[in-house]
Amino acid sequence: MKQFQLGEFEEVVLLTVAVLYGEAYGVAIRHEIETRLNRKVSVSALQTALRRMEKKGYLESVFGEATAIRGGKRKRYFHVTKYGQKALEYAKDSRMELWDAIPKIAFESDQ
Amino acid sequence: MIPAEKHPPKWSTAFFKWFCNQDFYEDLQGDLHEEFQLKTQSTTKTRASLWYSWQILRLFRPSMIKNIKTQNSIERELTMIKNYLKIGIRNLVKYKAATSINVVGLSTGLAAFILIALFVKDEFSYDRHFEGVEDIYRVTVKNFTRDGDMSRQWAFASAGHADRLKEDYPDITHSVRFYPWVFPDIEFKEQRFPGEQVIFASQDVFDVFSFKFLYGNPETAFSDLTNLVLTDEMAVKIFGNDWEDQDILDKSVTISRSGQSGTFKITGVIENMPDQQHFHFDYLAPIRFLEMIFTENQMNNVGGNYNWLTYVRVAPDTDILALTNKANDEFWDKYIGTFQNGGKARDFFDFHLQPILDIHLNSNLEGEYETNGSMEQVIIFSIVGLLLLMVACVNYMNLATSHYSRRMKEVGVRKVVGAFRTELVKQFLIESTLITVVSLPIAIGLVYWFLPSLNNFMEKSLVFNPLVQYELLGGILLLMLIVGFLAGLYPALFLSKMNLVQALKGEQSMNAKKWNFRSWLVTFQYAVTIALIFTILIIESQMKFIQNSNAGYEREQLLHINLTRNISNLDVFKREIMDHPSISAGTYASRVPTGRLMDNKGSQFYQGDSLVNLNFRLPFIRVDEDFLSTFEIPLIAGSDFTRDQDMSRDSVGYYLINRTAAKALGFDDPNEIIGRRLSYGNYNGQRQSNGSTRRIGRILGVTEDFHFESLHSEIVPMVMLKDVSSNRMRRIVLKVDPNDFENTLKHVENTWAGFDPVNTVNYRFLDDMFNDQYEAEQRLSTMIKAFTIIAILIGCLGLIGMVGFIIETKLKEIGIRKVLGATTKSIWMMVSQRFLILIAIAFIIATPLTYWLMDGWLQNFVYRTTISIDLFALPVLLAVLLTLLAISYQTIKASRVNPVECLKDE
Repeated sequence: MKQFQLGEFEEVVLLTVAVLYGEAYGVAIRHEIETRLNRKVSVSALQTALRRMEKKGYLESVFGEATAIRGGKRKRYFHVTKYGQKALEYAKDSRMELWDAIPKIAFESDQ
Repeated sequence: MIPAEKHPPKWSTAFFKWFCNQDFYEDLQGDLHEEFQLKTQSTTKTRASLWYSWQILRLFRPSMIKNIKTQNSIERELTMIKNYLKIGIRNLVKYKAATSINVVGLSTGLAAFILIALFVKDEFSYDRHFEGVEDIYRVTVKNFTRDGDMSRQWAFASAGHADRLKEDYPDITHSVRFYPWVFPDIEFKEQRFPGEQVIFASQDVFDVFSFKFLYGNPETAFSDLTNLVLTDEMAVKIFGNDWEDQDILDKSVTISRSGQSGTFKITGVIENMPDQQHFHFDYLAPIRFLEMIFTENQMNNVGGNYNWLTYVRVAPDTDILALTNKANDEFWDKYIGTFQNGGKARDFFDFHLQPILDIHLNSNLEGEYETNGSMEQVIIFSIVGLLLLMVACVNYMNLATSHYSRRMKEVGVRKVVGAFRTELVKQFLIESTLITVVSLPIAIGLVYWFLPSLNNFMEKSLVFNPLVQYELLGGILLLMLIVGFLAGLYPALFLSKMNLVQALKGEQSMNAKKWNFRSWLVTFQYAVTIALIFTILIIESQMKFIQNSNAGYEREQLLHINLTRNISNLDVFKREIMDHPSISAGTYASRVPTGRLMDNKGSQFYQGDSLVNLNFRLPFIRVDEDFLSTFEIPLIAGSDFTRDQDMSRDSVGYYLINRTAAKALGFDDPNEIIGRRLSYGNYNGQRQSNGSTRRIGRILGVTEDFHFESLHSEIVPMVMLKDVSSNRMRRIVLKVDPNDFENTLKHVENTWAGFDPVNTVNYRFLDDMFNDQYEAEQRLSTMIKAFTIIAILIGCLGLIGMVGFIIETKLKEIGIRKVLGATTKSIWMMVSQRFLILIAIAFIIATPLTYWLMDGWLQNFVYRTTISIDLFALPVLLAVLLTLLAISYQTIKASRVNPVECLKDE
């Protein structure tokens, strides 16, 4: 199904936004990915993914509060839309489908 | 929390703000700021700043960058331009009268400007085609009198100058002297080409001037002293169009003149010389050949005898002033030293090195090889050309702004819909360019139409073909854009600044300010017109002054004939040619009035018993005993020459002088100078080198002053010598009865053929020669007349357009005035009044400026007209008259209208 196009990094970001439910803004998402998955994420890569997915409709965002540490700038909180949820589920289902289809023998023969 | 005082690098933030999509900027910058603060706590500020900048740099990617919408804006722009063009064209079609006035004005203005530009460009292009032309100089010599006044400067130098200068001064890398052999005949097999232009020059000629060889080469062209190089044109003339296919190398042609002749072998053909060159010749031969004809002395003469056009090429970056000074300080002392009479040569001569690029426009020396142009003329024409173009632009500005009410509502609506002022300016600029685009083809047509007559009139061969001359095409297109911009700028600014509410209400509030920029524009037009009319009146007045001024001699019905060398028996020739009832008088002369006097000869005068050197120049001419009677020059003292007097035969001087000469010699009463002794030239009682002695002569008579030279110069002292048998008479002047001219001329031709069967009679009327002296002025006058007519035409067109508009807006006022009892006359006065004020201001501005400029021009003449009051008044009267004529039809029509007609609506 073409409509749920979701790249690997996008999927990670989308999942993280879901994980951080209610607290998902730029800095938090980045730190979450970096600590949880132990992978480096650049601001630009993350933000590009976020904006792209917002455009696709997987994410929605609202402005939150401003703090001194942010130089008086507001946070943008992201949350996953229904459509985003469907996309995640689709991704997960299709993986599972593939997992299920793997004959047991395929991995055992390696050992 | 104090550490929060730390700030990320400002320039990075600024850069980020500049490129980042506005929707993302706030939270993204917030995120970055927050992370920066966190980083500063765990690491150094520098590292944090670096990280911050790096992240921003990485955010500089298409998805984060602002919407530029390039595609979009171009599209929108195009749509608007399309709209502007459409509206512009509709307006052109709708207001046909205004359009045609504008097109006529702009196209004539453009055409005049293009023609003048072609002329000016051509004048400035002289000699530029030579390679390294800025290092080529012409050597001339200034001559000074004993008192240190400059007497004459010829365009030539002496024979010995070129080689010596080159030898002595290493800065001079090449030098060449030209000796023009006066129109010899060229013979090839049976063909004979009379009167060709042959120049003799040294090998250096090819180094000084980069003549392009079509055939042969400069190295070998002059290897033998009887070699000959000719131009392409002459090769075609002698050998036919296919000369390149013939083996013309080493073919022989014969050059001959008055008995002398030489056979020359052709060694090269050079390209034709372009018109834009200050000298032209057809054949070039080695100067070594001349050494066989001239004596060594003649070839090496270093003082006087200026017959040699001399050019030098100097090393690049030579300080020419220093070189000239050095040469002047050394040369004369080294080669001449002191004269026999004790004068130091240095005091009498001065080298003058002219850059050859300056010659065409700025050099007007004695005996210029060809008639040069005049910088003054170029400047006058350039100014007039620019003025005409500006007048045409102003015309457009006037009409466009005075018709603003037509566009007021449109501008208002556009503003309401959201047009910025820049958009409106763009729109009106496009409209003005549109009308220039329409005018341009007409202008080009006019240029094509008038170019042949201009060429004919100015003796030019200007070419106008923009399809081939890309430079010209580019220039014209650029001109079109500039004119469109200039003409449209003021209307665009004026119309776009309109107040929105007023515009939509249709208020005529713009009229409230009576004295606005537009009034200045009209004043400018009037000023140009008045200035041009004033100019032409001054020129004409001077020309009339010349025509009416008493030249002191009779110039009507005089036929002037140049003698050739074949006519040697002057006594018999004159007797035979005079033997006709219609020829009542005739005289020989070495030169005739309308020409230049011969040069000065050393002269001394017996003051009592002592011989005194003259402290002024006393130039001479040779005449016979009929000179005074033929030219009807009155004798005021003494007696005329008699038939049997002859200086050469009698070895004694016979002199007539003019009144000025008598005065200069100290005799206010001419009768007292009669019989006094004058030593002139070699009639000085000294033993000649050939052993004979020529005795000092006496002054026989004094004539009334007459203008031998043109009115540009003052009447100078002069002496007439009675010397026929020395065979130096170059002309004969005959008084002929105009009624029987054809028969008389036949008689002259028949007589001539008996003496010189080879050449034909070369005759002219003396009054034509008289007018030729003022040819430059005549040309200037005609050109200014044409320009004045164009300026008046454009100006009147503008007036008609403007008046129509003024009346249109004042129709109600006129109606009310009529109701209240105003007469037709008073209404006519009311409308005209405004223009009269403008004319008055234009007069105040234009007249002093023109007067000042033209006074400078008049200084060219020693004898000049006075600028009288009526000359000042006439341009203004003409301007008033033209204005009233241009506006009266519309004004009178408006003032006669029934007030009901214009007041009934609303």
